[in-house]
Amino acid sequence: MLVSDLIKQEWKKSLRSQGFYKNLAVTIMLIFFALYFAVIMLVIGFSLNKILEKADNVLNPMELFNGAMLYIMLFALAFRFIMQQLNTFDLPPFQVLPVKRTTLINFLLLKPLFSPANYFLLLAVIPFAIKGVAGYYSGSVALRFVLSFVLMVWFNSLMAAYLKRKFGSSLLSILTIFLILGSLIALEYFKIFSLFNLSRTIYNFYVLRAFGLWFPLGMVIVAFFLNKLFFHQNYYPESFNRKIKGNKTSTSEISFLKRFGIIGELISMEIKLILRHKRPKSILIMSAFFGLYGLMFYTNDVYAKNNGMLFFVAMFMTGILMLMFGQWLISWDSRHFDCLMTRNIPVRTYIYANYYLMFAFNIICFALTTPYFLFGMRIVYLHLSAFLFNIGVNIYLLIFMSTYNTRRIDLSKSSAMNYQGTTYKSFLIVFPIMILPMGIVWTLSTFFSLAVALWTLSIMGIAGVLLRKPLVNACVNQFNRRKYKLAEGFRESN
Amino acid sequence: MLQVTDLQKIYSGISVLNISNLVIPDGESFGLVGNNGAGKTTFFRLILDLIEPSFGEVLIDNKTVVRNDSWKTTTGSFLDEGFLIDFLTTEEYFNFVGKLYNKSEGDIANFLESMKDFFNDEILGSKKLIRDFSKGNQKKIGIAAALIGDPKILILDEPFTALDPSSQIRLKRFLNDLQTRLNMTMLISSHDLNHVTEVCKRIVVLEKGKIVKDLNTNADTLKELESYFAV
Repeated sequence: MLVSDLIKQEWKKSLRSQGFYKNLAVTIMLIFFALYFAVIMLVIGFSLNKILEKADNVLNPMELFNGAMLYIMLFALAFRFIMQQLNTFDLPPFQVLPVKRTTLINFLLLKPLFSPANYFLLLAVIPFAIKGVAGYYSGSVALRFVLSFVLMVWFNSLMAAYLKRKFGSSLLSILTIFLILGSLIALEYFKIFSLFNLSRTIYNFYVLRAFGLWFPLGMVIVAFFLNKLFFHQNYYPESFNRKIKGNKTSTSEISFLKRFGIIGELISMEIKLILRHKRPKSILIMSAFFGLYGLMFYTNDVYAKNNGMLFFVAMFMTGILMLMFGQWLISWDSRHFDCLMTRNIPVRTYIYANYYLMFAFNIICFALTTPYFLFGMRIVYLHLSAFLFNIGVNIYLLIFMSTYNTRRIDLSKSSAMNYQGTTYKSFLIVFPIMILPMGIVWTLSTFFSLAVALWTLSIMGIAGVLLRKPLVNACVNQFNRRKYKLAEGFRESN
Repeated sequence: MLQVTDLQKIYSGISVLNISNLVIPDGESFGLVGNNGAGKTTFFRLILDLIEPSFGEVLIDNKTVVRNDSWKTTTGSFLDEGFLIDFLTTEEYFNFVGKLYNKSEGDIANFLESMKDFFNDEILGSKKLIRDFSKGNQKKIGIAAALIGDPKILILDEPFTALDPSSQIRLKRFLNDLQTRLNMTMLISSHDLNHVTEVCKRIVVLEKGKIVKDLNTNADTLKELESYFAV
């Protein structure tokens, strides 16, 4: 059996899976997003030449791009290391067939290279090569430029997989990555060591010499054999799918929660759920990234006058954990939903447990984003009113709406980009929660002032906190109405 | 006491369960047999308020179970893996369920001690998560968790399948002991006619959602059931 046969089988598997057809709305939505980003990439690709021409007098666009190349490579490698799902596959059906071990390993390693997502950036690189590189040099240089980029993608893909298999995506290794990247930027900034110059030298050499490309190709081969070596050392098929391992139980008892009785028990169970599963854990990591949004928006003069946008960012950051987890608030419990429904847990208690969990999330996020207060008093007011609006209004909306997500989520089988359990409804939730308050701020601050807008939202939030009893009641009633639909949906594994 | 009145469940026009009247008094051991699709699990899910009845209702101690929480304090149940929390260790899971029924750590430790024989040293004391246990051991864990809150009513769906022979015999002994000692009401479904006649004093046969036989167990019951199911 050949590697190409195995790849064909994987295609069939995904095309013939039920989810592919069932989830048409989500698929269309994703295609829409993909097209959107494709257009952005093309626009960047066609305008990059002009931008870079103005950026520097001495160096031409390609030299500038080559200087950035090692940075792109390192950041992409870090990004892959954190986000990329290790390629694993269903071994048992093949174990009984006469398929050679090396074939399986080659398949495991090479399959990611066939993923179209890898080549997304080429949408920007190719137009740039045509306009920016061929214009200064020749067509063959432009071709080598594109090929050097492709080779970098291959190298990264293989290297990230190797590093991940070798070191695992523990918090420590992620911190190490940030440390390395941070110090490289610092070295460049203080002009101690310039990765930019090194990168420019290396990639100019690759691209301008006829034989230059042999070097990056050699690196790809080295990365490939590093992976092979790893599999050679970890001979048994069990260690293929490394992430199945590591079921150690690390959460110590969250003892102070015990005092709150059943609610505390439920919350500490939910925290264990988050920490022991891949999918919620990767949401935690993504949330940390989103927490840096402010650096992009608060420092940018373009947004300084756009109060609606700033409020959106403030609300997003101070409520990121709630917004990320809240969409699937009840679906997280889909696997043990029957357990929760038949044990001695009154529905009201269950809803309150989720409410307090969300509340705690908001307090944590608000506290963690306080460093942004350094950007001025306006940010303080924005964050405060966003926080109040989140705990007073959005929290109930999310609990209420999450009863519409009746899809079962398989927690163990996921990584950052996983759309299982996503329905068009989860997109609908975002609109009232994010767009509406943004609109209110925009309108009120345009016609009156920012203060009026923020007071309005804050008062709505405070009112929501004070009216907790009737609002939670509404959620309880809603849950009771939807209970059977939820139980039925969760029992169906998709 | 568990009472069923005019209970019907209809899925897209087809009635999958239709029980006009059934009373299970306190302390009765009630066995439910029937071929696949007879409606056994549907019946149990209706009792546990996991699906909504199309008509009629189930009363536990004269209170309807539909959208109600009060029956949960007196009912212990295990139907399938959905009743486990599979990312917890066994100890964490028993602690979690025990705490829901206001048990202290000492109560829970005593309870687990009493289950020692049933567990056969395979369940406790390892850091293994429940999802890593075998099906049979998961079943033991589920059955034990159903009992941790001292229920008055115990509902088990096919408790004997997936258990090894010794465990089946232990479970039978254990269930008989619970009846005589605690006068626990039990609802047990099974495909194994032998086991169910040994454990249950009353046996009801379901076919296509309807009760076709309602027997008090005696020496001839097993024969009668065997001839009923003979093909």
